[in-house]
Amino acid sequence: MAKKQSQQRSDPRQKLCPFCPKEVRFIDYKDYPTMKPYIDYFGNIRQRYYTGVCLKHQKMLKTAIERARFMAMLAYRK
Amino acid sequence: MLRVDFVRESPMSTPVLTSAIEDNRVYEIAVLYPYPMQQKEEQQLLKSIEQIFDDVGAKQVAKDAWGRRGLAYPVGGLREGNYVILYYDMAPEKVKDVEQQLKILKGILRHMIITVPKNYPFIAYAKAFEDWQVQRVASVEREEREREEKLKQQVVEKAKRQTKRATKKADATSTTPVRPVESLDVQIDKIISDDSLNL
Repeated sequence: MAKKQSQQRSDPRQKLCPFCPKEVRFIDYKDYPTMKPYIDYFGNIRQRYYTGVCLKHQKMLKTAIERARFMAMLAYRK
Repeated sequence: MLRVDFVRESPMSTPVLTSAIEDNRVYEIAVLYPYPMQQKEEQQLLKSIEQIFDDVGAKQVAKDAWGRRGLAYPVGGLREGNYVILYYDMAPEKVKDVEQQLKILKGILRHMIITVPKNYPFIAYAKAFEDWQVQRVASVEREEREREEKLKQQVVEKAKRQTKRATKKADATSTTPVRPVESLDVQIDKIISDDSLNL
């Protein structure tokens, strides 16, 4: 039981969306540097739970990454 | 670092793409074509792409030629390709025609037409990407230098500690054995000179 508690975040509100303070309205699929931290080694999109991105921006990220994948700027699977 | 933060009030230095006519919209067309290509062929291809849009009556707003870029996965057996990003101001009904024409066009690996959000600031990603790469290389180098300096400091500290320990040991060895030897001699003398033992 004690182990389970330690794995949980102490305060779930502490993680903030990195896009929200900048008021990002659109994430560009050509912008590799901004998308890079949200893709793991295998080319998958990182989960919101780990990155702390809000749902609105996660959806934007998803479209951007999928577009970049189609244009062969990002890998589907490494 | 040139990250697209898309702040609500974008800086005035970046040109904003907006359509001149009310019903028209700005579209972004990305085209991927193979890299090892002769200059004549390349020019012809680009001309034919632009011709498609001219026929429809679209107006070019901006253009960003990225040039040679490595691909994340092989497309048509190629590992490298050329990218061109075009911005056109055109009527929404014409997109279908353009899409069809681009599908038919030979010598293109991939193409994509997307709408651009309102007041989209035009950023030349070709340059931005290069800048980012240069910065990343610089940062990697800096990290390596810092790591090396740290290692050097660690080595120096270790050497200092070792010398300290060695001096301490030397002190200990030089001081301690003298006393017992003396005391032993004295004891032996005492024992020898002791008459009560009858040696």
